[in-house]
Amino acid sequence: MRSVAVIICSLIFICCSSKKEESQKLKRIPNASLVSKKTNYIAGDSIAMIFESDTIVEGIKLQLKNAFGNLLLNTEIIDANQLIYKIPKNYSRLAGPCRWRLILHGKTLKKGTINIATNAPKATHIESYFGPRSVTAGYNDYSMLTVAPTDIFDNPLDDGAEVTVKYQFQENISELTITTQSFFAFYNVRSTTKSGRILVSAACNGTNSKELATIVYPSNATNFTISASSAHNYADGNQILTLKSDIIKDEFGNMVSNGTLVTFIIKNQNDSYLYTIGTTLSGIVEARTLHPDEASEWEVQAFVTGAAESNTIAFSFEAAIKDYPVNFSQGNRNIDIGPFESFMKQLVPDGILLKLDIYDADGNFIETKKTTTKNGYCNIFLGAHFLPEGDYILKFKAAGISKEFTKNIHGN
Amino acid sequence: MLYFLTMKPTKKTNTLLILALIVGLAFHGSAIFFTLEYTYDALIHLFFADHYADSWFDPWEYRWYTGFTVQSYPPLVHQVIGILSYIGGLKFGMYTVALIAIVLFITGAYRYTLLMTGSRRIAGYGAVLAVFSSTFVETLHIFGQLPSVSALSILLHSMTEIYLWIKTGKTRYFVTSVSMLAVTVTSHHVTPLFGMVFFIAPLIGMAVMDASREKVDSYKALSFKIFWSTTLQHFWRIAKFGFTAIFLLVFCIFPYWYNSKRNPITQVAIPHGSRDNFLEVTSSGLVFFVIPWGIFLFVLPYFFYRYYSKRYVFFGLSFTLLTILGTGGSTPVPLMMLGETAFNILTLDRFTLWATIMALPIFAEFAYRMVEGDLKTLVQKKFGAVYHRVLGGLIAGGMLFMVLFTMTLGYFRPSQPAKIKMLPIVNFLGADSHDAWRYLPLGFGDQMAWLSAQTNAMTVDGNYHSARRLPELTTRAIERIENSKFRGVEGIGSLQQFLTVPEKYNLKYIFSNDKFYDPILYYCGWQRLQQLENGIMVWEKLNVAPIPQIMPKQDVPAIMKIMWGIIPLSTVLIAFFINIQMIWVRLLKSKKTEVHSFRKLELPYNKFPSKLLIFSHWWALIVLICLGYGIYLFYVKNVAQLSPNNVVESYYDALDFKEFSRAHSYLDPASDIDIAQYMLEVSVTDGILSSYAKMDSLGVEIYDVTENSAKAKVATRWITPLENIFSSDYHELVKVDNKWYIKPSKFDNDIPPDQLFTANGTTFYNHGRRKITTQETYHEDVLKQPVLEILSAKLVKYKGQYSIIGELQNVDNTPADIVIKATLYNDANKELANYNAKHHIKHKLMPKETTTFKINFEGIAWSSTKDTLPPTFDPDQFTPVSFEEQPTKFNIQSAGNTANTDLYKHVALQDLTYSDQGFNGVLFNSGVQEVTIPQLIISYYDDNNELLWVDHKFVAEGVRIQRKQFFNYKPLELDSLEIISSSLKNCFVNGLPNQAIADKIFPNRKLIHGRQQTQPFKGKGFDYLKFEINSYIGNPK
Repeated sequence: MRSVAVIICSLIFICCSSKKEESQKLKRIPNASLVSKKTNYIAGDSIAMIFESDTIVEGIKLQLKNAFGNLLLNTEIIDANQLIYKIPKNYSRLAGPCRWRLILHGKTLKKGTINIATNAPKATHIESYFGPRSVTAGYNDYSMLTVAPTDIFDNPLDDGAEVTVKYQFQENISELTITTQSFFAFYNVRSTTKSGRILVSAACNGTNSKELATIVYPSNATNFTISASSAHNYADGNQILTLKSDIIKDEFGNMVSNGTLVTFIIKNQNDSYLYTIGTTLSGIVEARTLHPDEASEWEVQAFVTGAAESNTIAFSFEAAIKDYPVNFSQGNRNIDIGPFESFMKQLVPDGILLKLDIYDADGNFIETKKTTTKNGYCNIFLGAHFLPEGDYILKFKAAGISKEFTKNIHGN
Repeated sequence: MLYFLTMKPTKKTNTLLILALIVGLAFHGSAIFFTLEYTYDALIHLFFADHYADSWFDPWEYRWYTGFTVQSYPPLVHQVIGILSYIGGLKFGMYTVALIAIVLFITGAYRYTLLMTGSRRIAGYGAVLAVFSSTFVETLHIFGQLPSVSALSILLHSMTEIYLWIKTGKTRYFVTSVSMLAVTVTSHHVTPLFGMVFFIAPLIGMAVMDASREKVDSYKALSFKIFWSTTLQHFWRIAKFGFTAIFLLVFCIFPYWYNSKRNPITQVAIPHGSRDNFLEVTSSGLVFFVIPWGIFLFVLPYFFYRYYSKRYVFFGLSFTLLTILGTGGSTPVPLMMLGETAFNILTLDRFTLWATIMALPIFAEFAYRMVEGDLKTLVQKKFGAVYHRVLGGLIAGGMLFMVLFTMTLGYFRPSQPAKIKMLPIVNFLGADSHDAWRYLPLGFGDQMAWLSAQTNAMTVDGNYHSARRLPELTTRAIERIENSKFRGVEGIGSLQQFLTVPEKYNLKYIFSNDKFYDPILYYCGWQRLQQLENGIMVWEKLNVAPIPQIMPKQDVPAIMKIMWGIIPLSTVLIAFFINIQMIWVRLLKSKKTEVHSFRKLELPYNKFPSKLLIFSHWWALIVLICLGYGIYLFYVKNVAQLSPNNVVESYYDALDFKEFSRAHSYLDPASDIDIAQYMLEVSVTDGILSSYAKMDSLGVEIYDVTENSAKAKVATRWITPLENIFSSDYHELVKVDNKWYIKPSKFDNDIPPDQLFTANGTTFYNHGRRKITTQETYHEDVLKQPVLEILSAKLVKYKGQYSIIGELQNVDNTPADIVIKATLYNDANKELANYNAKHHIKHKLMPKETTTFKINFEGIAWSSTKDTLPPTFDPDQFTPVSFEEQPTKFNIQSAGNTANTDLYKHVALQDLTYSDQGFNGVLFNSGVQEVTIPQLIISYYDDNNELLWVDHKFVAEGVRIQRKQFFNYKPLELDSLEIISSSLKNCFVNGLPNQAIADKIFPNRKLIHGRQQTQPFKGKGFDYLKFEINSYIGNPK
């Protein structure tokens, strides 16, 4: 363990000592001057900087600084007191000021700036954005087209570059020219009052952008009318009532967008607020619900919540079942209810609910039995195991009709 | 390992050992291919192995629990699998290690038996019996505890060496014993830790005892004084070994101890079956007591008799201790001995495992004496030769039965879901940057580890519960979220927290292998993405940000990484070279090796105590009676039609397990419902009860009992992923031919009007990326977020609990998926809590649709250990945040994202009446999709139509197409409700202020519409209410 420590310590010492570089004492600072006097270039030009120095010393370097970052260049050629530095492509292609300093061991010998201009004439690229992707019809919504034209080296064109914007809506194609400011140009494409799709494109220096689009969605719905239809208006608890609107439009006459939710509020004779829901398709909404199973008065009004409502329509259901017979047999234990006859004396469709409340002779509630009709009839059997002999009050309720019997139940 | 060839090159090879090895390898070696992947642990070790194969030295593993360190488990087995995986893949590595473990175990058992009995013959018996020991079968084939098995086997090997070191003091043995101990330590930390106490301590005792014995003529003459003086003589050897062992235990896995110190296990203990009372929880008793003991149970008196002889007395004490500790919660002794903390951290099944392994040599001795020794003579003399054969047959048969029973347990009662093909999931995660988010598997069982091992994607879950880090997990007694339905309230509660606030952990994808979880996913705002070809449903959540590039990591010093990476395998190499080298030296020199001293202690076995035989018979009889009584109880409880109670329970049990033909057989035959009709009627009912519920408890109350009839009131409690459902049903029961039957309930005869009908609607489709690119999605392929408007928002206090309620509308022209998050502040603008809307909201809104919402602020349950865990499952159990300060302000951030699924709105409220029982309503499904679970969202308003409260109700049965469904809802009493703050000031939609949106999109909102759509009803503390319907569709068409 000790030997390891010794080795490690000595290693550290060795490292430290080697770092201690002997500082070169410069005897004389060389005088350098710039030979290449050109300071303005165009992006993509090959740039070489030539200096002349009275003494050639090893280690003279050129520091470059532009938007890209910092770079130290070694002397490329030393030829008869000339120092030549070739500016690499990624520096010569970037438009903007490029500052340079000639340095020797941290001392600046010379400094200056060269200006690199955008290479506008060569070829232009266009980067364009358009958003939001959808707007609402009317007067106060818009999508913004943003265009950033650049030269082939991705340098933004100088302010004031002309960009042609074209946009199409239905038959109209409009064109206008805007200019870049702070390297980009923008244009607000106003929404239209008609719904549809607006396509835009931009061009600069003969280069065209891709096609961009925004969708104009209809504005909020306006009031509309509804109607109701059904196969008949009997309360049979089986048929479907269809509620339908006319074409729902916004204030500019556009059909509301597909899928808009419409709530049909149904108020019945008991002041219960029922409802059914539909979503629009081509502006028309259709919703369904089931007929009640007893005579009812319905008032229906539809809403696009917050935006629009419909007229109120009334729909009255006549009782389909006027009456039903109840037959007792087998010591009043077997109860056959029916036939349930509908409005044309036909047997009702299966599934009419019948409720039987059983009370003892003193009116104390015992039990409720529920069943549904099948082929027009219901059957309830009050088995001897469960209802001992005696007098009972039997209350039936089905299709809104109540019947009451007092029966002596006996036998098996 | 060539011990059997080399132990005594001069003697002939031990045929029994060879036989054991051949049979063991053939039997276990082929069986592991059908069992190992279905075990509890094997795939977890595979995942760890994958980690080492991937990054050997870096202990940080990002894929589970948002990152954990693998230095929380000894690495040897994982590293060996990892190395072998370079040859033939991870599974090849795992099976190779398993095969090595099998060989090591059999040879280990041989050497241990040889050491204990001194007889090569009995040691051969020991090896054969080891192959068929049910405890080994269970540990390997059901639990898959590879590190534990490996460590235990090597510990058995090292015992001979330790004995010889203590006895002889030769350095050679010290080196071998220590080298093997090091391997044990690096493969499993608990084994050597407890092994020191339970195996090595008595072993040292025995070595000293043997040394003392050599000083006197007989055991009778061996007094404590002599023993004590011998102990003192051997003290330095013992001390040297003891200290070295402790040093190894600390040094070899030092990073493990370092990590334990740094990340102490502060989590709530996870219930483990081995701590149950085996008499109450018979399934735990079977797995953790009956199976490991197996046939040994009948021979227990012999074990104690032998282990309490003078030579083995220390083993006797240890064996007794292990046996008692292994009984778990059946007796209060283990709790008293271990103390509360240790009892709740340790899994007690390992004590039984060690007890049964410890008993192995004595059982081998018993078998030897039974087959060819003095016991055979005694039995034959006492009971006759036939009886001996029958008895032997019974024991052998019992042993075989236990092995087969254990082996096939996983087949008949699968503990794991069926094997899942992982490739489609792996491909899904790899495609389209899906691994930029976390995922969560549901219903995968331990196979989730295998999925994790195959992908780089990360999950919030994990399968190594000691490493759990998220507070949602550590504060609850759940091992995984993946199987949360088996973990009751804590499980579902944890899951719901992850589902409700998934953005906290960048959780975006869920792979569901269990449709039980589907409703909760839907109601927490998740949507189905696609079904993979292996049948796994992928769910996704919108508006979740991807995992940040830089993730937190708990780094350890480099020295720890180097130790962890190098030491474990080095111990194996060193142990291998040392031990093999010794064998070769012995072989090549072919000198006559000395016979180890313990071989001289072989007993003559000439007189089996007759009293013990008698006692053993009585004991066996008692065990048999206990078993028989257990089976009898099981039978009486389960004969279906013996009593009214039984028939009702059986009927509900059949319904719960969807065994409809069995259920039908309990129906009154006189009722004339044939099986076909019954099946039809049952199959058309859908809903949360029939499709997503598991019966939790069943209370049957029988009344009005006569000779041949009865009535039953059945109160059932069903667990569903959403909440508990209590239901009461009444049945009439009749007795026909001494059998009880249930009278069938009447079914709804309702028929819909139309056979065929049409429905039109708008459907939506979102391309995702139109351009196929590996880059970020193109600008023009990104949809605008649908604009929402928050219509009202309030902070209310009701029954001591703070909630944010409100109403919002999708004011855009495309359907929207809604995510809404509320934050509470006090007067000093200090943030107190934040949470998302769970299921009190319609998460998917059509254009212009409104929804009311409620956000409850849920805390992390049982974060203070004082809270007692509720004993049973209660998924809707809610832990409110405990506020130290009074919240007075709030902030709501809502976000809309274009939705294109789950937009079914065609459920109508067809009728509504009020009675003393509350509102009785009728739902009608007017569309073309079957609604599996309808949810009612009920909002309450005051006389100014200002929102007061939001409540919900899940309707237990579904609404079929063009059919009705009845519901009942009892309105709440809101007189105690307090509105603390009502403001739209700090409400934001997609990051923009709500007011600006309202002004722009809905400048002329018709506020009267709210009142026109609400039901006037004079209730306690409110004047209006509204029913909204949110429909979950189980099988969208």
